[in-house]
Amino acid sequence: MNDINFVSRGANLGKIFNSIKKKIGLYSIALTLYLPLIVFFGKLLTDCDLLVKLWTFLSSKLFINTLSFSVKEALLSACLSLLLAFPGAYFFGNFDFPGKRLLRSIMILPFMMPGILIVLGLVIFYGNNGFFNQFLASVSNNQLKFAGLYGFWGIILAHSLYNFPFCIRVLSESWERINPNLKEAAAMLGSSKLNTWRRVTLPLLMPTLSYLFFLVFTYSFLSFTIVLVFGGYLYKTFEVLIYIEYNNKLQFEQAAIIILLQTIILAVILLLQSFIGKRVQYQSKLVGQLAALNWQTTRLQTVTFISYGLFLILFFVSPFLAIIYKSFFQTEILSIANYRNLFTTAFSFSVGQPFLIVLRDSILLGGFASLIVVCIAYYVARSRRHEPWGGVDLLFQLPIGISFMAFAIGLASIFGELLNYRLLIVWAHVFLAFPLVYSILRTARRELNESIIENAILLGSTPGQVFRRVELPLMRRPLSTAFAYGMAISLGDLAAVLVFGKGQLVTLSVAVYRLIGHYRFAQATALGSLLIFISLLLFLSVENSSIFIGSREDR
Amino acid sequence: MNSADFYFNVSKDYPDFSIAVELALNQGEFFSLLGPSGCGKTTFLRLIAGLERATESKIIVQRQDVTNLSPANRRIGMVFQDYALFPHLNVIENIKYGLKNQKLTAGAIKAKTEELLALFELEHLAVRDIHQLSGGEKQRVALARALAPEPLLLLLDEPFSALDYGLRNRLRNELQMYQRKLGFTCIFVTHQQEEALIVSDRLGVMQQGALIQSGTPFEIYEKPVNRFIAEFVGEANLLNGNIVANDKDNNHLMLEIPELKLEVPLFGCNYSFGQYRILIRPEEIMVNYQESREGTIGIQAKITKLEYLGYMMRMELEVNRVKLKAATFNQDYSQFKIGAEIRIGLNLANPKFIK
Repeated sequence: MNDINFVSRGANLGKIFNSIKKKIGLYSIALTLYLPLIVFFGKLLTDCDLLVKLWTFLSSKLFINTLSFSVKEALLSACLSLLLAFPGAYFFGNFDFPGKRLLRSIMILPFMMPGILIVLGLVIFYGNNGFFNQFLASVSNNQLKFAGLYGFWGIILAHSLYNFPFCIRVLSESWERINPNLKEAAAMLGSSKLNTWRRVTLPLLMPTLSYLFFLVFTYSFLSFTIVLVFGGYLYKTFEVLIYIEYNNKLQFEQAAIIILLQTIILAVILLLQSFIGKRVQYQSKLVGQLAALNWQTTRLQTVTFISYGLFLILFFVSPFLAIIYKSFFQTEILSIANYRNLFTTAFSFSVGQPFLIVLRDSILLGGFASLIVVCIAYYVARSRRHEPWGGVDLLFQLPIGISFMAFAIGLASIFGELLNYRLLIVWAHVFLAFPLVYSILRTARRELNESIIENAILLGSTPGQVFRRVELPLMRRPLSTAFAYGMAISLGDLAAVLVFGKGQLVTLSVAVYRLIGHYRFAQATALGSLLIFISLLLFLSVENSSIFIGSREDR
Repeated sequence: MNSADFYFNVSKDYPDFSIAVELALNQGEFFSLLGPSGCGKTTFLRLIAGLERATESKIIVQRQDVTNLSPANRRIGMVFQDYALFPHLNVIENIKYGLKNQKLTAGAIKAKTEELLALFELEHLAVRDIHQLSGGEKQRVALARALAPEPLLLLLDEPFSALDYGLRNRLRNELQMYQRKLGFTCIFVTHQQEEALIVSDRLGVMQQGALIQSGTPFEIYEKPVNRFIAEFVGEANLLNGNIVANDKDNNHLMLEIPELKLEVPLFGCNYSFGQYRILIRPEEIMVNYQESREGTIGIQAKITKLEYLGYMMRMELEVNRVKLKAATFNQDYSQFKIGAEIRIGLNLANPKFIK
């Protein structure tokens, strides 16, 4: 009996020791991830004149203007994204139609594309000499012109273009998962269709709507690339302001004050979100048979859906098609000259590096950063496979709501002199990609049937063999999905490469940014097309993945 | 036109299935619809409710023709299989939902809600969220919500299917109690024959979209109209028999059962010559039959399988290579052994013949 007690006590101690070891491991990763921010805020908060400096900035016109612009553009971007997404979500959530699965997959494509491509597409399509203005001029005899791209409305358009497909995807899945019996129960209790929509469907969609609203709001509030290009001197988000103060004016202190203030504002937004989005989101396991969208039985809906699709293609898909189309024309003659020009010295002069070096660096940087983030995220996901979603997971999701500029400047101030700039960029990209990569791997690892692993152990495999022969093959798909997303985020980043690269390292996104800056749109379209091609490759590698945002494509 | 309080004559054609059912009910009747999965029970309910569009239909609810009315205006309530409680509303708000649609005054809604909360013993759960309720509590809320607008007919679509045995029994009794207390008319869909036999005033058995037989539980169990019902409701031994003239007594008939090599004189006069299928329920087989009773024939049988259920012993027997199912109660079950020979009694004085 005593022996048994001794053994069980020993086993308990072993368990406690393992749990402590695991916790130390996880918190060390979190600490490393957030180290630049911790040191940065530590330094800032010990500054004796902090309050005075804060007050000076708070009472400045610059602060009021930036805040008012950021809130206005974020609000409008969120509203427009949801407005554009709502009809799409209705059709995707309530009907079945040919190609639905493929279309739904395509909706993650904008997420895989670098922000600068959106900018380029809008410039080529909606710019002063773009296709849209050419069309307006031809139909109005040069009377009509859309000149709002470089300014407030251009920023709203770009943010909406970037976000609305994601909103369609999430909202339609939420809509589809509303228990079909609820609508019927409401009808049996005497509800009209309108009444059921108001009292049942809408309240059940509200948690998703508010989640998406805050997500797009936060994304737009923290927007960098789009505002940097379209905002000019007039419109700046705090992220752009921090970049200008730090990078262009070399005003570290001012940048730090803005970062602190932005963090406080973000905390208020996140608190508001958690307060409003407090209601539990109910999703039914019961998925009803959706009505088929066809000409015979649902004629009105079919016509509306086709019109909506055409509207989206015309205004939101065309910018990307315009990039590819334009890349094959030089002074209105079909040619591949724009692609050939990527290898010229003119390109190297505008961009700072020859094309092949840019391509090599982008792929190596993306691959390396993605590999690191996937390894760390998988380690964390694996350690937490038995735990329900909790505070530690939230800790690893925080980079979504934290200013990237704060992180980048914190990183530069601590390790700027110590580490190679390439390593600093990799670190920054790991920080940027971590939330998404982690959420993909966390969900997938938790869903992996643990009995399979236990079975392999019982069949005599060592832990190493189990990992290599069972776990890794089963996790291959989520791991490759996570890798593709990590790579896409790295390829799309502009801020980290601009802050740390200092011209020595140029990625494809930075090259497009510089070509736009030098008004070399022809070469920019060729490079942009190449980026679209790489994004498509990454998209194809994750297509059909059912992990992202809990898609249930495999039903 | 039927003069019953409730009358349904509905049909619907699908590409690979069709349903056509005619049914009449009386006020306050508890009618159960029994049938295997996929036989069209739920579809029949949905056609009555107006949730599915019928190819042809006639729906009379308390002598009112509601065929052309929308589901919202038919005054029919429904309890769904998964209860379909509104997850964004709490218990009291769920119950109020239908009352608000009736545009009653706030006072009337409050009074009715309180009455239902008390009746279904839900007062202490009034403000609780739906996801915090147990299966039994959810069922009571679903019932209260469905009954709040005072429907003339309540449809219950397998409301106990997801519950465990004990809870199922308890809730079934509760449902029966509420139905007796409130006197509502209801159609209860289930695929559990025991459940249907216990709770119903009458029940109907469906097969492949058609109502094959309806009647009291006794009629369905004792006088099934065909082999399907005999085997679906309870367990059945079905033997082939011929009614022939009794050679020894020309005034009487005799039942031959070639499979068992039996010949039994028939004393009734309601028989005619021909081939018949004889139904013998397992509990009608007398196990360890010793004494001699009129009309009962004793034969030797071999035990091939034993199933001990605590309150009874189910056994499989073999007589002349014919398998028979038997059930015995109140015996020393340890005396039965597989392979042993026992004597069984078959009472064939008034045999049950089916098609």
